[in-house]
Amino acid sequence: MTVPPGGTWRRRGSGPVVRPYAVTGGRTEPADGEVLDLVAIVVATGQSVDADDRMRLTPEHRRILTVCRNQVTVADLGADLGLPVGVIRVLLADLIAQGAIAVVPKRPAGERSGQDVLQEILNGLRAL
Amino acid sequence: MGSAHSDAVTAVFSAHKILIAGGFGSGKTTLVGAISEVRPLRTEEALTTASIGFDDLTGVGGKTTTTVALDFGRITLGQNVSLYLFGLPGQERFSFMWDELAYGALGAVVLADVRRLGDCFPSVNYFEARRLPFVVAINCFDGAPRYEAEEVRAALDLASDVPVVLCDARNLASVKQVLITLVRAISVARARSSRT
Repeated sequence: MTVPPGGTWRRRGSGPVVRPYAVTGGRTEPADGEVLDLVAIVVATGQSVDADDRMRLTPEHRRILTVCRNQVTVADLGADLGLPVGVIRVLLADLIAQGAIAVVPKRPAGERSGQDVLQEILNGLRAL
Repeated sequence: MGSAHSDAVTAVFSAHKILIAGGFGSGKTTLVGAISEVRPLRTEEALTTASIGFDDLTGVGGKTTTTVALDFGRITLGQNVSLYLFGLPGQERFSFMWDELAYGALGAVVLADVRRLGDCFPSVNYFEARRLPFVVAINCFDGAPRYEAEEVRAALDLASDVPVVLCDARNLASVKQVLITLVRAISVARARSSRT
């Protein structure tokens, strides 16, 4: 099956014609079993993927790598790519296993306490 | 391969999750849209017996998930804090998704329509059981009867520390006030639990 030039297999109003799990090779669980939260932040490491792994990258893997040049949440990634969250999680797990994507630690060293974050959110909301 | 978490990268922003719950048609998507750009997100969830009769499984014997659409919005606050509002699918049929969505959430807004107050019982019960701080926001629909916040509190049998506010889910200033009330309630709840 080939994708028409400049287009995707998409029917108006019905989403992609290719079923979600065709993209993951039928897998519904991430390879490492870790379920990433919707607001977990991921980023491309810039680390090059070895030749064998690169051959196995699907267009969707590559799109994830492109979007992940900047830190992005799993939810935004799903919305950006128009793929279901479960599919995103499976593909991310592949890329994480290859070292191409890293999950950004939620609380970097020296981060403010929970109450400080709440205060920051409050101030931000008031300023909207 | 030990952990997916890398020590080499640090977050350039922090992302926090707030849930928007309430019955079908209570104004969840309207509320999210009033304060942020709504983005559709597809999720696929484990099929339960609740789906039997709704999801045609003929020929897909191994299929164990179904696709559910979810709305969310992101509010960027300052330089490095983002607030994510997730609309919780209201129908009973999707309540099995709530645990995943509630995981790590700061708190929740329960939208109530006084004409169908019973519709928000499942959300109220859920957040009470989970001890997740929440506020009840009465969405003042045009033409709906007006009740005082305290009347709604009594009708829902809410604890005294659960704020009840009137709101217009279409209005930015009003939605902002609901979220500010929620964040204050979260702050109070955390201060209390750290003392005990």
